[in-house]
Amino acid sequence: MSVPLEPAAPLFPVVVDLPFREGYVRSIIFVSLYVSVTAVALSTLVSLPVAMLMGFADFRGKQLVKSIINTGMGFPSVVVGLLVLFAVSNQGPLGALELIFTREAMIMSQFVLATPPITAITLAAITGVSENVRDAAHALGGTRLDVALVVIKEARYGIATAILAGFGRAISEVGSVLIVGGNITSADGVSKTRTLTTAIQLEARQGQYDTAMVLGAVLLALVLTVNAIVVRLGDEGAMR
Amino acid sequence: MVRLSNVTHAFGDETVVEDLSLSIDPGEVVAIIGPSGVGKTTVLRILALFLEPTAGTVTLDGRNVWSLSEENRLQLRRRIGMVFQEASLFDATVERNVEYGLRVRESWRERLRDELWSVLGSNGTPEAVTEALDFVGLSDKLHQEARSLSGGEAQRVSFARALAYDPEYLLLDEPTSDLDPRNTALIEAAVREARDRGIGVGIATHDMHQAERIADRVAVILGEGVAEVGSAERVFENPRDARTAKFVAGELVY
Repeated sequence: MSVPLEPAAPLFPVVVDLPFREGYVRSIIFVSLYVSVTAVALSTLVSLPVAMLMGFADFRGKQLVKSIINTGMGFPSVVVGLLVLFAVSNQGPLGALELIFTREAMIMSQFVLATPPITAITLAAITGVSENVRDAAHALGGTRLDVALVVIKEARYGIATAILAGFGRAISEVGSVLIVGGNITSADGVSKTRTLTTAIQLEARQGQYDTAMVLGAVLLALVLTVNAIVVRLGDEGAMR
Repeated sequence: MVRLSNVTHAFGDETVVEDLSLSIDPGEVVAIIGPSGVGKTTVLRILALFLEPTAGTVTLDGRNVWSLSEENRLQLRRRIGMVFQEASLFDATVERNVEYGLRVRESWRERLRDELWSVLGSNGTPEAVTEALDFVGLSDKLHQEARSLSGGEAQRVSFARALAYDPEYLLLDEPTSDLDPRNTALIEAAVREARDRGIGVGIATHDMHQAERIADRVAVILGEGVAEVGSAERVFENPRDARTAKFVAGELVY
């Protein structure tokens, strides 16, 4: 094993049995969750109304919005990272906010990445709700808002899947958070903008395979847990 | 009284209903019969204040429906119930389905409160819901998932759902076309009982025998508007229009 070229933090003598530093790992998990959950929550707030509008209303530029969403689904994350980096850099339009290498900048790029798939899958789910169900809600005396609420309820599995897919894309994404966040830890080895993914690639590159494996297991467990929660929620919704 | 006067409706270039005049009074069953694809569903949707006809007027108790504001029209629309050919139940329990019409008529504050109570699981079933389910003989299915019902049961729940909020008019679009004889009989019995309660019922059907069994008046539609409207007895036994005679005799099949 070669000697790491850029140690992330001073090397401590190993005094505990754990093959990794607990505080370090915990802070990384926190940053990952904070960034991804916030970004996905914001994406959902935007995606749901946009998908509803696209599913129910006809307006000028609908095709354009559709193409933007479809393009966005395949947008390379490093390019998104680069664009956000330009936007928040000192000369960029958001330069005054001094967001470069912050969690907020990471949230911005995750938001850009997660919104298209969440919108697209939500749209597919709500357009999949049978016309008969909409008619029924309307016929039973529902207003337009009532009909929209019924459609959201009927499409709940699809919407949950959409949010999950967005979260999956956000939390396991490396390229853009590395560019705009910078994979930074503070001097005492606590993550500032280091996420599970960027930490894994760094640790692996440095030959710290134990730590990388632990972080990988945490990432996997997180994704599986969120998945299980969403599936469970869907089942419960169906049983009520 | 719901009344259509000289109503014409076209989808694009295709005229589906032409110069149709028809009314439904409280406490009577009007069957709208005719072969498949002549626009019976369109007529019902116009009667339900669902669809604005291309020409002609629709009135409910003398008020011209389509000249009203959307808010006022909603109030009129809420006096009418409709059951579709396919039971289009929501993906929820029978109870939630049947109470839907009641919920949308509540204020947002009441609805929020009811939602919260139902999440806590201590929500009482509204009396109107149990009554409506009794009406179609399904009160034992209250807590069952709607999608686990058989086709006949689902259609009866649809009927109960439209009845729960006590409408003055009920419009049924081929409600029994996919049902077995037993469920058909149950729906027909429910239609008669609804009429006896003073509800005006409009039922579209391609089954002349059904029309004969339950209708007070019949409107025969054969393609270009109504060919003949009259009491069921008169239309079936003594049709004035030659095409009606053929249809009633079973010779006119599309």
